[in-house]
Amino acid sequence: MSSRILVCRCEDVTLDDLRAGLKLGYATVDELKRLTGLGTGPCQGKECQAHVARLIEAEGQGSPHLAPFTARPPFEPTPLRLFAGVPPVKPK
Amino acid sequence: MRLSDVPPDQLVELELDGETLLGRRGEPVASALIAADRWLIGRSVKYHRPRAAFCLAGSCGSCLVRIDGRPNIRACRTALAPGMKVERQNAYPSAALDLFGATDFMFPRGMDHHTFFVDAPRPIHAVMQKIARQLAGLGRLPEPREVKIPPARALRVELVVVGAGPAGLSAAIAAARQGTRVLLVDEQAQAGGSLLADPRHGLARAADLVATARQAGVELLCSATVLAYYPEDRISEDDEPGLLAISTAAGLLLVKATRHVYATGSYDQNALFPDNDLPGVLSARAVGRLLVRDQILPARRAVVLGAGPYAHLLTEALSAAGAEVTRIDGIEQQIVATEGHRRLRAVRVARRSDPGGKSTRIRCELLAVAALPAPATELLREHGCQVRWEASVGGFHVPTDAAGRTSVPGVHAAGDVAGFLGVDAALDAGARIGAAIGGSSGARP
Repeated sequence: MSSRILVCRCEDVTLDDLRAGLKLGYATVDELKRLTGLGTGPCQGKECQAHVARLIEAEGQGSPHLAPFTARPPFEPTPLRLFAGVPPVKPK
Repeated sequence: MRLSDVPPDQLVELELDGETLLGRRGEPVASALIAADRWLIGRSVKYHRPRAAFCLAGSCGSCLVRIDGRPNIRACRTALAPGMKVERQNAYPSAALDLFGATDFMFPRGMDHHTFFVDAPRPIHAVMQKIARQLAGLGRLPEPREVKIPPARALRVELVVVGAGPAGLSAAIAAARQGTRVLLVDEQAQAGGSLLADPRHGLARAADLVATARQAGVELLCSATVLAYYPEDRISEDDEPGLLAISTAAGLLLVKATRHVYATGSYDQNALFPDNDLPGVLSARAVGRLLVRDQILPARRAVVLGAGPYAHLLTEALSAAGAEVTRIDGIEQQIVATEGHRRLRAVRVARRSDPGGKSTRIRCELLAVAALPAPATELLREHGCQVRWEASVGGFHVPTDAAGRTSVPGVHAAGDVAGFLGVDAALDAGARIGAAIGGSSGARP
């Protein structure tokens, strides 16, 4: 096994990947997410998001406003058949 | 190792990649596998590194296995049933000897798969795309089966409390005592949240609170995950918009509530050290859940990493359960290396002031990481609540006043989600917030 410090285990994103991104000028949680794929796996950032923000705070250029990425439901892996059982409601 | 014998009538067989193991009926599959000393449950998506359970709470996504022909099922959130067929994922020919693990050796400095072969001539690029498509993704498609679509149900309540941990239970009790009709939902099979990982009280504290809640008239629904808050949707044309979609065993439950209390707690976090993804590295609360909830000692030799109160509690609890425990504070002492391939065998510890200097080797099969958990804010973010960054309380959290009010009227936050508190302070916060809401919502006579 190569020695790696994993930040996002879902997508195998390492601390080195994120530092390389910061060096290239990517400065926010969202930008680093788009660059590396971090937070796009099964856990949707529950384990990595705070780590990325801490890294930006400690090593980023300048001090950008730290904001989490957009929360998109469903918040856990869900079989789609659950949603298929919802009857349509006419808009008011 | 089991701390108590499994009664014969609860002992069931399961199959892991064709091997027959024994477990306790109804316990999480992930816990049964750890009790049987089977840690490796698959390989990671990109470098094919060994994967194993980490949080045992359903949030981290690293214990995905194939169960009874269905891929990507969280082993920690699946109750063990007799004859269950569990298969490790994403490995060929087996998770122990995965040939694709070569990726990890071939790219020691990392590999950007998004731009891989982008500069190659077009025909080569096209071939590589095809290969990449084959290798990408996790799990194989499910075996064909008849799919039943359970009809969604709808419910209107005065107050919904999301999360039946210390904050949610005490908030629900306090509000119900003031005459409010409360629905309390929790994603786990057993209510209690982080109380189930608290070695001071065993399971008694959670059981007492659940009994008190029921007496106070709280309707408690377990194995019910709030999947979403949809601000624009409604149960019927006559309702105001805004509803919760809750996943239950019987199908989707749509809830329209007048007020919301989010006591969603916090997610376990890992620490950053070399090979922090080795099987055997668990969150501290996961180890607490194994000891307290499941009566399992995960390994004989353990290291606890952390300086907070929970790290101390867990060190004592592991020691009392018969483990040889070393605590590393993570402040002055740092983990500079780990040993082991498919399983943690040892850690190397050095002083922060001299990380390249002399290191001490500690043999261990378990590393419990007591890092500051991160508030679980997703649902509050969907309501549009203000979120603030503050590293000292776990990162992004929802600021509130003393009554738990967020920036959105009718939406409250209690416990760790408003900034990490831990069990005792979360119990107090929940009681205070529940009483304030119950007292202000037009109590019944």
